[in-house]
Amino acid sequence: MTGAALLDRLAPAGAVDAAGPGALAARAWLATHGLPDPKDEAWRYTPVDQIVARLHEVVGAAVLDGGRDDDVDLATVDALAGDHGGPRLVFVDGLYRPRLSGPGLVAAGVWCGNLADLPDRRAAQGAALPPPDELARFDGFEALNRAAGPDAAVVLVDAGVVAGAPVHVVHLATGHPHAAVGHPRTVVKVAEAAEVTVVETFAGIAPADAPARSRSADDAAPTGPVTNAATTIVIGPGARVTHHRVQAEAAGAVHVGHTRVVQAAGSHLRSVSVMAGAAVARHALDVGLHGPGARADLDGLYVPSGHQRHDTVVTVDHAASDCTSTQRFRGVIDDEARGSFGGHVIVRAGTTGTDADQSNRNLVLTRSAQADTRPWLEILADDVRCTHGATVGRLDDDALFYLRSRGIPHDEARAMLVRAFVDEIVATIEPASLRAVVSALTPGGAS
Amino acid sequence: MLRIDGLTASIEGNRILDGLDLQIGAGEVHAIMGPNGAGKSTLSNVLAGREGYEVSGSVTLDGADLLALAPEERAAAGVFLAFQYPVEIPGVGNMYFLRTAVNAVRRARGRDEFDAMGFLAEAKEHMARLDIDPAFLSRSVNDGFSGGEKKRNEVLQMTMLEPRLAILDETDSGLDIDALRLVADGIERLRGPERAMLVITHYPRLLELVRPDRVHVLQDGRIARSGDHTLAHELEAEGYGRAPADAAAAVAG
Repeated sequence: MTGAALLDRLAPAGAVDAAGPGALAARAWLATHGLPDPKDEAWRYTPVDQIVARLHEVVGAAVLDGGRDDDVDLATVDALAGDHGGPRLVFVDGLYRPRLSGPGLVAAGVWCGNLADLPDRRAAQGAALPPPDELARFDGFEALNRAAGPDAAVVLVDAGVVAGAPVHVVHLATGHPHAAVGHPRTVVKVAEAAEVTVVETFAGIAPADAPARSRSADDAAPTGPVTNAATTIVIGPGARVTHHRVQAEAAGAVHVGHTRVVQAAGSHLRSVSVMAGAAVARHALDVGLHGPGARADLDGLYVPSGHQRHDTVVTVDHAASDCTSTQRFRGVIDDEARGSFGGHVIVRAGTTGTDADQSNRNLVLTRSAQADTRPWLEILADDVRCTHGATVGRLDDDALFYLRSRGIPHDEARAMLVRAFVDEIVATIEPASLRAVVSALTPGGAS
Repeated sequence: MLRIDGLTASIEGNRILDGLDLQIGAGEVHAIMGPNGAGKSTLSNVLAGREGYEVSGSVTLDGADLLALAPEERAAAGVFLAFQYPVEIPGVGNMYFLRTAVNAVRRARGRDEFDAMGFLAEAKEHMARLDIDPAFLSRSVNDGFSGGEKKRNEVLQMTMLEPRLAILDETDSGLDIDALRLVADGIERLRGPERAMLVITHYPRLLELVRPDRVHVLQDGRIARSGDHTLAHELEAEGYGRAPADAAAAVAG
């Protein structure tokens, strides 16, 4: 199947036309630029050829007539995604499912729901395309998401409003052949001096016969559905957003995700990205600090085991003066898995007072596990404080022996040390219900 | 109770223990002294089961073959090593670590595990005796502890794990006189008919507070001399100088 034919199957011209000018522009962008290929620098550590091959495979195999949710019930959603006490919007194979969603009680001045249900008076707030200067880093998967995804989770918070309980957006992939590609989309817009916490969970329903963990070489290639997610977060002046993103797709799945954040002056973002599931997964987090005094604190964990591939690519663009960014990403790589991190910090010419800090530490648990770490500082200004540090290490043999010499069995001692490593991030996660979910997804068990 | 016959240990081809024999009966406290590089720490590591050594010979505790056991199995069988350099483990809470260890050993010995409250009460009692600040429990294992705090933490663990064989590897090093006295009291309290103790030290100071039943000189990987507690003072006066001649005589004999 050619690229054009793939595009016609995934984003038929007629349907895109109906989805509005943004979708149309995205389709045009995709038709010109195509999907990324292995020569693409930003995709260096992601097996993008496997992802594209899997796309062709699933698109060629069945009629893509959208998801069905007949066998998804509330208990399944609770088990896969958890409940964090606030409104929960549930999308199955990219389509909004009111039956499984609980809009809950939200503060006055907060609207959350499906894009199609957006009241007229808020329509202008719902537009999801990034500002034109962001399009330079647009890529084919993000364009495909915009061209192909009919539904979107929308969270809008009016000026000065503190939203309270977290808004939980759940994207489930069933893996049914007719819905083997999903394009979940989330748009969050927070006006001046407002505050909100958004939790995004990407989970999959594994077929009953699928192995929980693949160990043999034959299992390395993805066999499950392809999720191509895009999230846009626009943070107004002085506003505060906490964004947790949990990738817990089913074994064998493919997950490609983009989170694009645009921050105004004095705004604050705290972001935690957790990568636990799928066979091949990539998350690109792109933060633009466009107003003076904006701050972004970005944390993340990736914990591939078996033959999993997890790639996290962070870009922070200091486009205004006096902005602060911190990156704290931790990887635990087991078995024959590979975990990669790329952290790109751009400090634009003409800015002053930038403070940027980046730290990436990796714990490699076996001889065949592999970690890649690539800091990339692009500093075009003078008055800058930039630090970065990256480590790849093994479990501390002295600590392991110390614990075992006290009677703690080997596996338990190993789990304690791995837990201590990931707890640097996990212990900071609020609410506690989400911390428990992340704790269960990461190695070392619940502490 | 502890019986070591012809123990050898090599690391990367260097033989460090070279045919060491030693027996310690129940209720006895033995001291091992010796110059740097004589193999004192290797002996304690090999007894506790540290990996990385090529070991031959035989070590039994109550008749059980220790060398066949993993470190955690040796701990369950009653071996405890107080480390010369206790390991700092950031992120692992001291109380969580202690309770996990104590319960793992109790479980392995067929005894009831402590619940959280029962453990805390037990720990606090022992900590008071060792003059350990209760805030100590909420810190990470040995993380940022002073030298004295680390050694007291070792004695606290030893007390709570109730070993059959306690090995103290230079537990007195780096301690001021007050800390030394606290540690010595902790050791004396554990002294009893159900337990054997092996105290490894450079200095006779600790041996004045914890009087050993036997003193051995470890030199060139084997026991070169043995005697009663007065040997420690002789060594302080004379140094280890006589020992090589003894070793040569032993080889010649």
